[in-house]
Amino acid sequence: MDRAKGEDGKDIAAGPGRWPTRFVPLIKPLGAVILVVGFVLWAHVGSGIARFHSQVKSAPGWDRFRDAYGLDSFGEDSYFVRAAQNGYNLFYFTHRSGWRFTRKTAGDAVNSCAACHTPEDMAYAFVNSDRFDSKLGRRLSFEESVMRCYAEHMDGFVPTLYDPAVRDLRILARSVAHHLQLGEGARRGGS
Amino acid sequence: MATLPAKLLRLGVIVSVLGGLYLVALKKHAERDEIRAAAVELTPGCKAKLESYALEPGADYRSPYVLRTMGAAKGIRGYSADDVRAIQRGCNIVDDTQGQLAKDAARERWNSGRFMRGKYASCDHCHQGVGDKQDAAGNRLVGSNGLAASWVMADMYDRFTGLLLPYELRQMQCYINSSNGFKPNAADDLLRDVTAYSRFLSAALDLKIGKHYAEQGVDEIPASATLRRGDDYVRGAHLYRQKCARCHGPQGFGTEVNGKVIYPALAGPNSFTLDARMNFHRVNTVMPGFICRNMPLGEEGSLDNQSCRDIGYYISTLPRPAGDKQGPLVAAWQRLMMTVMPPLTQYAESLGGANRPALQPALQTED
Repeated sequence: MDRAKGEDGKDIAAGPGRWPTRFVPLIKPLGAVILVVGFVLWAHVGSGIARFHSQVKSAPGWDRFRDAYGLDSFGEDSYFVRAAQNGYNLFYFTHRSGWRFTRKTAGDAVNSCAACHTPEDMAYAFVNSDRFDSKLGRRLSFEESVMRCYAEHMDGFVPTLYDPAVRDLRILARSVAHHLQLGEGARRGGS
Repeated sequence: MATLPAKLLRLGVIVSVLGGLYLVALKKHAERDEIRAAAVELTPGCKAKLESYALEPGADYRSPYVLRTMGAAKGIRGYSADDVRAIQRGCNIVDDTQGQLAKDAARERWNSGRFMRGKYASCDHCHQGVGDKQDAAGNRLVGSNGLAASWVMADMYDRFTGLLLPYELRQMQCYINSSNGFKPNAADDLLRDVTAYSRFLSAALDLKIGKHYAEQGVDEIPASATLRRGDDYVRGAHLYRQKCARCHGPQGFGTEVNGKVIYPALAGPNSFTLDARMNFHRVNTVMPGFICRNMPLGEEGSLDNQSCRDIGYYISTLPRPAGDKQGPLVAAWQRLMMTVMPPLTQYAESLGGANRPALQPALQTED
């Protein structure tokens, strides 16, 4: 790149009102930084999107579900209820709330946990989990069952053990189990 | 530029190393499967506990405890032989975490020593009665840290951590803080077997999911439950010598007889850390609650609330390891204190020891 030089050999401005050429290489990185900072500022201040929100998007039927299973009074804090609500969203709208772990879309007939299970199924599965599975030949936890559902029935990917996509389904199952007053190893319809 | 043979050699080394690691992993998995399939030798405490709950493989399980207390026991899903072994191993881990009663400690306790510093810590020290403390009449005791009651209330909001705390994560905290160690993986057999045992206990006691039971956790004692005289070091030290030192030692280092830990350390490198909930300076209600409900052994309930708080306060002033949140400087300072303070305290106490209550001679064997 040709640069305009003065008599002493130093860079000079290319013309009246122009930047010295030594700043030219900084334009692109500065532009990138300004772009990123601008986006962050817009996202935080100008976009109207709540920042670091812990609210869960209210899906259709949540209020009815919450009333039916008495979730308002369980857990003694809204943190638990929010996790259960996220579990509800995952359970009924898996393709939306757990999209990272499923290849299913709204167009598929079987696109959510609710297509195969009821909330009561989840509760009974929870209190009967951590037991030996004869098909697999080993003990299977509730979390592993959920992971297998994502991978196999939902044709998707396996979340980690700690992911809310697993944890919140467990919490949903736990809250329904509480509502049904289930204990460990409970069977449907009693003994 | 590397020649073709050099490149092939380098590739061969990488493949060999990765292949070697894979073979080691396969071997370790096979070893674990073998341990899972092996018969479990129960500790005396677990033998009595599990026999009293009639744990054996079968399609149905009916709890003798429920039958005795309620008059009738509903049949629930039974346990397979694999489940029974997991429960037995879990019970052994709670009763004898570091395998002092085991023939092969590393093998029979999933190498639990990897996750603990020192050899004093055991789940049973805080979760007494193998995690299910009952009185002679079979009543579950209030604030006895019952594992079954903890299991049914797992996943609830935990005010100490601000998390919805799963049962496995809670166990990890025990390893880090109460045992001054390291956390196992959430899927490690060490944690899963204890979960299996806790779940079995909740079946045997017929506890319901999400219901709070009085034996869960510690029956905490806040300052408001006292006459508000303030927590006092001198009163605490005096009470400690009277009530606690005969088992835990004059400086709280615990008691070891013939290489086996009889009473746990309350101070020094083998005790819980500054981050533990038992540390009065971190949570000033838990240790007093534990003392009042569970100490001294055989005389539970003999101390009033203020005495328990005084003892808890005094114990928290003894040197102990830093937690993992405090950083290296505090850790180094605590280590220095743990080295320097015991001989200094011993010397200081020897100067005016005439007025102090005598310790039982047989239990003065401190580590």
